Amino acid sequence: MSLQLKFVMPSDPRYLPVVRGAIGPLAAAIGWDESDCRAITLALDEALANIIRHAYHSRADGLIELECRESADGLEVTLLDNGEAPDKAKICARAMACDQPGGLGTHIIKDVMDTVSYQATPAGNRFVATKRLRKTI
Amino acid sequence: MKISIRDAGATKIVEIEGDVDLGTSPDLRRTLFATLLEAPKLALNLAAIRYIDSSGIATLLEVLKDSQRRNKEFVLFGLSPAVQQVFHLTHVVRIFQVFQTEEEALGSA
Repeated sequence: MSLQLKFVMPSDPRYLPVVRGAIGPLAAAIGWDESDCRAITLALDEALANIIRHAYHSRADGLIELECRESADGLEVTLLDNGEAPDKAKICARAMACDQPGGLGTHIIKDVMDTVSYQATPAGNRFVATKRLRKTI
Repeated sequence: MKISIRDAGATKIVEIEGDVDLGTSPDLRRTLFATLLEAPKLALNLAAIRYIDSSGIATLLEVLKDSQRRNKEFVLFGLSPAVQQVFHLTHVVRIFQVFQTEEEALGSA
Protein backbone atom coordinates (compact mmCIF):
# COMPACT_ATOMS: atom_id res chain seq x y z
CA MET A 1 0.00 0.00 0.00
CA SER A 2 1.34 3.40 -0.93
CA LEU A 3 2.08 5.93 1.81
CA GLN A 4 -0.35 8.76 2.22
CA LEU A 5 -0.78 11.69 4.57
CA LYS A 6 -3.67 14.14 4.87
CA PHE A 7 -3.96 17.27 6.98
CA VAL A 8 -6.48 20.04 7.30
CA MET A 9 -4.76 22.92 9.06
CA PRO A 10 -5.75 26.49 9.92
CA SER A 11 -3.81 29.20 8.09
CA ASP A 12 -1.90 29.84 11.30
CA PRO A 13 1.93 29.72 11.22
CA ARG A 14 1.95 27.92 14.58
CA TYR A 15 0.86 24.77 12.73
CA LEU A 16 3.80 24.85 10.32
CA PRO A 17 6.19 22.96 12.68
CA VAL A 18 3.51 20.28 13.12
CA VAL A 19 3.33 19.68 9.37
CA ARG A 20 7.13 19.86 8.98
CA GLY A 21 7.39 17.19 11.65
CA ALA A 22 5.39 14.81 9.46
CA ILE A 23 6.73 15.60 5.97
CA GLY A 24 10.38 14.74 6.62
CA PRO A 25 9.66 11.26 8.02
CA LEU A 26 7.22 10.58 5.16
CA ALA A 27 9.86 11.52 2.58
CA ALA A 28 12.38 9.31 4.41
CA ALA A 29 9.91 6.41 4.39
CA ILE A 30 9.51 6.79 0.62
CA GLY A 31 13.27 6.61 0.22
CA TRP A 32 14.92 10.03 0.13
CA ASP A 33 18.12 10.75 2.03
CA GLU A 34 18.41 13.27 4.86
CA SER A 35 19.36 16.19 2.64
CA ASP A 36 16.48 15.58 0.20
CA CYS A 37 14.04 15.13 3.09
CA ARG A 38 15.09 18.54 4.45
CA ALA A 39 14.69 20.11 1.00
CA ILE A 40 11.23 18.57 0.45
CA THR A 41 10.12 19.68 3.91
CA LEU A 42 11.37 23.21 3.19
CA ALA A 43 9.62 23.37 -0.20
CA LEU A 44 6.26 22.29 1.23
CA ASP A 45 6.65 24.60 4.22
CA GLU A 46 7.27 27.46 1.77
CA ALA A 47 4.15 26.54 -0.21
CA LEU A 48 2.07 26.57 2.99
CA ALA A 49 3.64 29.86 4.09
CA ASN A 50 2.79 31.40 0.71
CA ILE A 51 -0.84 30.41 1.14
CA ILE A 52 -0.93 31.90 4.64
CA ARG A 53 0.73 35.16 3.52
CA HIS A 54 -0.69 35.70 0.05
CA ALA A 55 -3.96 33.76 -0.23
CA TYR A 56 -5.18 34.45 3.31
CA HIS A 57 -3.21 37.70 3.87
CA SER A 58 -1.88 36.37 7.20
CA ARG A 59 -5.38 35.72 8.56
CA ALA A 60 -5.27 32.66 10.81
CA ASP A 61 -8.89 31.55 10.28
CA GLY A 62 -8.56 30.11 6.77
CA LEU A 63 -8.25 26.41 6.06
CA ILE A 64 -5.58 24.59 4.09
CA GLU A 65 -5.94 20.98 2.97
CA LEU A 66 -2.70 19.15 2.42
CA GLU A 67 -2.37 15.72 0.88
CA CYS A 68 0.95 13.94 0.36
CA ARG A 69 0.79 10.71 -1.59
CA GLU A 70 3.47 8.26 -2.58
CA SER A 71 3.25 7.89 -6.35
CA ALA A 72 4.70 5.27 -8.66
CA ASP A 73 7.92 7.25 -9.00
CA GLY A 74 8.05 9.43 -5.91
CA LEU A 75 5.82 11.93 -4.14
CA GLU A 76 2.82 14.02 -5.15
CA VAL A 77 1.65 16.87 -2.93
CA THR A 78 -1.64 18.72 -3.28
CA LEU A 79 -2.58 21.85 -1.33
CA LEU A 80 -6.04 23.36 -1.48
CA ASP A 81 -7.13 26.71 -0.04
CA ASN A 82 -10.05 29.11 -0.36
CA GLY A 83 -8.09 32.35 -0.19
CA GLU A 84 -7.23 34.82 -2.91
CA ALA A 85 -5.99 33.20 -6.10
CA PRO A 86 -2.23 33.56 -6.73
CA ASP A 87 -1.05 36.11 -9.27
CA LYS A 88 0.90 33.93 -11.69
CA ALA A 89 2.85 36.95 -12.95
CA LYS A 90 4.39 37.38 -9.48
CA ILE A 91 5.40 33.74 -8.99
CA CYS A 92 9.19 33.42 -9.31
CA ALA A 93 9.43 37.03 -10.52
CA ARG A 94 12.44 37.72 -8.29
CA ALA A 95 15.94 37.38 -9.72
CA MET A 96 18.06 34.94 -7.74
CA ALA A 97 21.43 35.77 -6.11
CA CYS A 98 20.32 39.32 -5.37
CA ASP A 99 20.00 40.94 -1.96
CA GLN A 100 16.25 41.61 -2.15
CA PRO A 101 14.38 39.80 0.62
CA GLY A 102 11.07 38.95 -1.15
CA GLY A 103 10.08 36.04 -3.37
CA LEU A 104 12.60 33.45 -2.19
CA GLY A 105 10.02 30.81 -1.31
CA THR A 106 8.65 30.19 -4.80
CA HIS A 107 12.19 29.72 -6.12
CA ILE A 108 12.89 27.14 -3.43
CA ILE A 109 9.72 25.24 -4.35
CA LYS A 110 10.62 25.29 -8.04
CA ASP A 111 14.23 24.23 -7.42
CA VAL A 112 13.39 21.38 -5.06
CA MET A 113 10.31 19.89 -6.71
CA ASP A 114 10.30 18.45 -10.24
CA THR A 115 6.89 19.80 -11.28
CA VAL A 116 4.81 22.59 -9.78
CA SER A 117 1.40 23.84 -10.87
CA TYR A 118 -1.07 26.43 -9.58
CA GLN A 119 -4.71 26.28 -10.60
CA ALA A 120 -7.86 28.14 -9.58
CA THR A 121 -10.70 25.58 -9.36
CA PRO A 122 -14.31 25.74 -8.13
CA ALA A 123 -13.09 23.97 -4.99
CA GLY A 124 -10.41 26.61 -4.37
CA ASN A 125 -6.79 27.29 -5.25
CA ARG A 126 -5.04 24.07 -6.03
CA PHE A 127 -1.26 23.70 -5.79
CA VAL A 128 0.21 20.42 -7.02
CA ALA A 129 3.90 19.53 -6.85
CA THR A 130 5.69 16.29 -7.57
CA LYS A 131 9.16 14.96 -6.94
CA ARG A 132 10.64 11.86 -8.48
CA LEU A 133 12.72 9.48 -6.44
CA ARG A 134 15.88 8.74 -8.37
CA LYS A 135 16.88 5.27 -7.28
CA THR A 136 20.57 4.39 -7.27
CA ILE A 137 21.53 0.79 -7.97
CA MET B 1 12.59 29.95 19.05
CA LYS B 2 14.80 31.38 21.81
CA ILE B 3 16.96 34.45 21.33
CA SER B 4 19.76 35.58 23.64
CA ILE B 5 22.18 38.49 23.37
CA ARG B 6 25.62 38.96 24.87
CA ASP B 7 28.57 41.32 24.49
CA ALA B 8 32.00 40.44 23.17
CA GLY B 9 33.95 43.68 23.34
CA ALA B 10 32.26 46.15 21.02
CA THR B 11 30.35 43.37 19.24
CA LYS B 12 26.86 42.21 20.10
CA ILE B 13 26.44 38.46 19.66
CA VAL B 14 22.89 37.23 19.06
CA GLU B 15 22.24 33.53 19.51
CA ILE B 16 19.14 31.80 18.18
CA GLU B 17 17.86 28.40 19.17
CA GLY B 18 15.05 26.45 17.50
CA ASP B 19 13.06 27.11 14.33
CA VAL B 20 13.00 30.34 12.32
CA ASP B 21 9.89 30.34 10.16
CA LEU B 22 6.94 32.49 9.15
CA GLY B 23 5.68 32.47 12.74
CA THR B 24 8.95 33.31 14.50
CA SER B 25 10.93 35.44 12.03
CA PRO B 26 9.12 38.69 13.02
CA ASP B 27 10.55 38.30 16.56
CA LEU B 28 14.01 37.71 15.15
CA ARG B 29 13.65 40.74 12.87
CA ARG B 30 12.66 43.02 15.77
CA THR B 31 15.56 41.78 17.92
CA LEU B 32 18.21 42.12 15.20
CA PHE B 33 17.10 45.59 14.12
CA ALA B 34 17.08 46.81 17.73
CA THR B 35 20.42 45.20 18.61
CA LEU B 36 22.10 46.62 15.51
CA LEU B 37 21.48 50.11 16.91
CA GLU B 38 23.46 49.27 20.06
CA ALA B 39 26.84 48.27 18.60
CA PRO B 40 29.06 48.83 15.56
CA LYS B 41 29.07 45.09 14.87
CA LEU B 42 26.46 42.36 15.15
CA ALA B 43 27.40 38.67 14.96
CA LEU B 44 24.63 36.10 14.63
CA ASN B 45 25.22 32.57 15.90
CA LEU B 46 23.14 30.11 13.85
CA ALA B 47 24.62 26.91 15.34
CA ALA B 48 21.52 26.02 17.38
CA ILE B 49 19.00 26.63 14.62
CA ARG B 50 17.11 23.47 13.68
CA TYR B 51 15.24 25.01 10.78
CA ILE B 52 15.19 28.24 8.79
CA ASP B 53 12.86 29.12 5.93
CA SER B 54 12.83 31.89 3.34
CA SER B 55 11.21 34.35 5.76
CA GLY B 56 14.23 33.85 8.03
CA ILE B 57 16.62 34.38 5.13
CA ALA B 58 14.65 37.48 4.07
CA THR B 59 15.00 38.81 7.62
CA LEU B 60 18.78 38.36 7.48
CA LEU B 61 18.90 40.17 4.12
CA GLU B 62 16.92 43.08 5.55
CA VAL B 63 19.26 43.34 8.54
CA LEU B 64 22.30 43.18 6.25
CA LYS B 65 20.97 46.05 4.14
CA ASP B 66 20.20 48.08 7.28
CA SER B 67 23.71 47.44 8.61
CA GLN B 68 25.21 48.66 5.33
CA ARG B 69 23.05 51.79 5.43
CA ARG B 70 24.24 52.49 8.97
CA ASN B 71 27.88 51.68 8.13
CA LYS B 72 27.88 48.78 10.59
CA GLU B 73 28.98 45.18 10.29
CA PHE B 74 26.65 42.15 10.28
CA VAL B 75 28.27 38.72 10.20
CA LEU B 76 27.03 35.14 10.58
CA PHE B 77 28.71 32.10 12.09
CA GLY B 78 28.05 28.48 13.07
CA LEU B 79 25.93 27.44 10.10
CA SER B 80 24.86 23.80 10.40
CA PRO B 81 24.59 21.66 7.24
CA ALA B 82 20.78 22.15 7.35
CA VAL B 83 21.11 25.94 7.45
CA GLN B 84 23.84 25.91 4.79
CA GLN B 85 21.49 23.96 2.52
CA VAL B 86 18.86 26.71 2.76
CA PHE B 87 21.50 29.38 2.08
CA HIS B 88 22.51 27.51 -1.07
CA LEU B 89 18.91 26.93 -2.19
CA THR B 90 18.20 30.65 -1.86
CA HIS B 91 21.50 31.61 -3.55
CA VAL B 92 22.42 34.05 -0.77
CA VAL B 93 25.53 32.38 0.63
CA ARG B 94 27.90 34.83 -1.08
CA ILE B 95 25.91 37.88 -0.04
CA PHE B 96 26.72 37.46 3.66
CA GLN B 97 30.00 37.36 5.57
CA VAL B 98 29.88 33.80 6.93
CA PHE B 99 32.39 32.32 9.40
CA GLN B 100 32.72 28.90 10.94
CA THR B 101 33.48 29.96 14.49
CA GLU B 102 32.73 32.83 16.84
CA GLU B 103 36.44 33.57 17.09
CA GLU B 104 36.71 33.98 13.31
CA ALA B 105 33.53 36.09 13.22
CA LEU B 106 34.83 38.42 15.93
CA GLY B 107 38.19 38.79 14.21
CA SER B 108 36.68 39.70 10.85
CA ALA B 109 36.65 43.50 11.21
